[in-house]
Amino acid sequence: MKSENSWRYSMMFTAFIGVGLVIAVQLVRLQFSPQASSFIEQAARYAWEPRLVNAPRGQIYDRWGNLLAGNRTVYEVGVELAYVEDPQAIAFTIHGLLGEDYARVLRLASMEASDEAVYNRLSDFTSVDNVEILKNQIDQRREDIRASIPPTGPNLEGLVFRAHLARSFPEGLLAATILGFVGQDEIGYHGIEEYYDELLAGTSQEIWVPRDPNRVEELPEIPPGDSLVLTIDRELQAMVEEILDNSVEEWDAAGGTIVVMDPNTGEIYAMASTPHLNPNEFSNYDAVFPDNAPFNWATSKSYEPGSVFKIFTMAAAIDLGLVTPETPFFDTGEIIVGEIPIRNWDNNAWGPQNMLSCMQHSLNVCLAWVGTQLKAGNFYDYMRRFGFGHITGIDIAGEATGRLKEPGDGDWYPADLGTNTFGQGISVTPVQMLMAISAIANEGHMVTPHIVRSLVDGSNQFNIQPQFAGQPISSETARIMTEMLTETLENKESLALVSGIRVAGKSGTGEISTLDGYSDRTNASFVGWGPVDDPQFIVYVWLEDPTPIWGSLVAAPVFKQVVERLVVSLNLPPDNVRIGLLEDSSE
Amino acid sequence: MRTEIWRHFDFWLLGIVAVLIIFGVAMINSAIAGNIELVELDTVSRQITFAFIGFIVILITAAMDYHLWVSIARVLYAMLAIFLSVILVSGETAFGAARLLDIGFLIIQPSELAKLTIIILAADFFARNQEKLVELVWIVRSVLLTLVLVALIILQPDLSTSIVLLVIWFALLWASGLKTKHLLFFIFLGLLLSIITFPFLEDYQQQRLVNFAFPDPEASFGENYNVNQARITIGSGGVLGQGYDQSSQVQLRFLKVRHNDFIFSSIAAEFGLVGNLAILILIFLVIWRCLRAARLARDMVGALIAYGVATWIAFQAIVNIGMNLNLLPVTGLPLPFVSHGGSSLLSLMLGIGLVESVISHHATLEF
Repeated sequence: MKSENSWRYSMMFTAFIGVGLVIAVQLVRLQFSPQASSFIEQAARYAWEPRLVNAPRGQIYDRWGNLLAGNRTVYEVGVELAYVEDPQAIAFTIHGLLGEDYARVLRLASMEASDEAVYNRLSDFTSVDNVEILKNQIDQRREDIRASIPPTGPNLEGLVFRAHLARSFPEGLLAATILGFVGQDEIGYHGIEEYYDELLAGTSQEIWVPRDPNRVEELPEIPPGDSLVLTIDRELQAMVEEILDNSVEEWDAAGGTIVVMDPNTGEIYAMASTPHLNPNEFSNYDAVFPDNAPFNWATSKSYEPGSVFKIFTMAAAIDLGLVTPETPFFDTGEIIVGEIPIRNWDNNAWGPQNMLSCMQHSLNVCLAWVGTQLKAGNFYDYMRRFGFGHITGIDIAGEATGRLKEPGDGDWYPADLGTNTFGQGISVTPVQMLMAISAIANEGHMVTPHIVRSLVDGSNQFNIQPQFAGQPISSETARIMTEMLTETLENKESLALVSGIRVAGKSGTGEISTLDGYSDRTNASFVGWGPVDDPQFIVYVWLEDPTPIWGSLVAAPVFKQVVERLVVSLNLPPDNVRIGLLEDSSE
Repeated sequence: MRTEIWRHFDFWLLGIVAVLIIFGVAMINSAIAGNIELVELDTVSRQITFAFIGFIVILITAAMDYHLWVSIARVLYAMLAIFLSVILVSGETAFGAARLLDIGFLIIQPSELAKLTIIILAADFFARNQEKLVELVWIVRSVLLTLVLVALIILQPDLSTSIVLLVIWFALLWASGLKTKHLLFFIFLGLLLSIITFPFLEDYQQQRLVNFAFPDPEASFGENYNVNQARITIGSGGVLGQGYDQSSQVQLRFLKVRHNDFIFSSIAAEFGLVGNLAILILIFLVIWRCLRAARLARDMVGALIAYGVATWIAFQAIVNIGMNLNLLPVTGLPLPFVSHGGSSLLSLMLGIGLVESVISHHATLEF
């Protein structure tokens, strides 16, 4: 149609073209404007999300390569909301099989699927076995339907399973207090797991993964964390744990610890303590260790050691040349130190003695006198050099420092010198005692206890070298002390004596202090080492609150049991055979 | 006579529309992937169904003389007014607005049909009263006719459709020979009206306008979210885009209403600048073919119908793309033929059918 108004159509058309051009220009401008790069960046930021992928946790082995801590596959169980058909069946089954709260699962499983709600997690750390059961039920039902059989099982459509790794401890309770455990947060708690957490955990990598579920991105292989080889001997550890458990039961003790160490290197062969917790069931932690009770008594629990401590008092005095084993002492049954009278364990006066018999009969009066000869300055100087009052540096998390009160401290009194000489009024940890004893068993050279033998990082192995912690006493003093403590055991026919191997040692019965002063409950302990001519082991035994109360009756026989098993593990021949061999070979 | 019709039938127009619809369906398919609700609603197959119905509608309408439609324009108008009133009383609410009416087999939006009805009605009115348009009274009469529908739709509330109706009316008025002094008067009146009505708009409508005029640089979510996401999507698309079904912006649902209002952005993300320009050119070609029909039309009413349909498509396309590019405030207007939405597609195709009828019949009945 031609009309006088056709120019109006053309004008409108031109206007449309104009607007179209503006749009096109804006389109091009958006692509090539300085903002464009930021748009692209922003879009990329939306498209990818960082995901922290944890490296598989490093394994932990005993000294012979037996696995103590590894990883197992567990599953996260969840629901794809869009595929759920029967939320009640899911809730019922998950509640019954995995123990999850019925109402919670039902709520999560019956949510309406939407853009925001796609997937809900129902349970985690589900074992392979349970997942198999669930998968079988799903498969069975599908097969029934395919075969047109009325399905009987619950309708679990919508359940999905996502595998991931979790810490597992194949030996269960074995070495539990050494290893610690790994929480659901994949963080190590206590023991090796905590101390070496960073090394074991490895480097988790932040990986940018596409948010688009349709775009599969290959996850890079993440190198696992370092593996650790412990100094622990699994067989020995198991035996020591068994002995400890039996002893705790036999003597009705509240708990205890046994530690076996190589005095030459500081390697811990075995370290048992009760109470203990199966690290696979760490959710029981609060029940076993209420109020953050010490996890590993050997490292984390300090106590008053009692007479075992006399070893260090005597060693200090001998090292300074103040006494010899033959130095006489007349025991009147009481000595006043710092205005406080000190008496013997039996409140008796033992009359004429010498240093050797003082140790043999464990006379407090005698040792307090030795303390007065040493004087506070020397005594505390030596105790510090033996490492008391601060941590040994053993590679187990949560080590306690103990407490060594010294002149100058607000709560130190002159009377403390007297009681400290026989191990009261001072608190120590078993590993501190072991380290200090290593100076005596190892010719004066004190060695730092350690529990990791080597780190394995990929194909590289790094061996941990023994670390020496100074020489508090001369090698001569060390030999004198060892001989002295061998003779005392033999003289009194101690229950600690082992046939075929000469051992040195000392029992202790420390009174447990309470808020009302000292109770009649005790810490019964025994430390011993052997063979005395070339010590290969130190064994430390401590039982808390046993009946009877005496270390010489309770802890000494435990020492003997451990050594009898230990010599087999360490392939230690009887002394006569070994010395015979040495003489043969030297001829 | 049959063959005569098909001889002048504009196969180019049909073809271009078909290409746009197919492109749209493909984009909808990509855009809704992963969205459980939309997939379950059979969004894509519904769109395809509507497209097929639409093509049949085009062919039937083209075969019919458009004067038939013109003759029932008043009936249509009356029915529509009743329809819209019924919706106001008992409509289904979608995204806060009562725009849908379920009439058995499909849910349609009468406000989409309103656009078409206004085109036919106004074309008829102006064609018959062209000479009288020098008097303001006749102009006011025509605007009153439009305002009845506008009022019913604005109450839904659906501001954008109301504006489309007014724009169509005004474009037809202009094409019918509006005097310049009247034009200036209407421009003044329009400005005055928009200022006066602003306080009466719904909160969200006011908010959109405010956000458009004074964007808050801190607001990354909420008010400006859609627009920002659209700009990011378009800006990051590049020249060729990230490929079909590949764009993270589209696939990951950062872009909201990506299968209808913001489908232009989805195209940008997956097909880049090239895809956007292709859409622009295709829509431009549709408009050109419609205006060609208007120019060739046998009579005034046919010309105005074709012209009205062209204006309708052009205006919606401009507003939709302008919104995607943040050149215009956010409105709910779909991109013609491309966006998802059955009623919109069907009524647009009915419009194309009318244009085809105009062009098919332009040389058939020369007395």
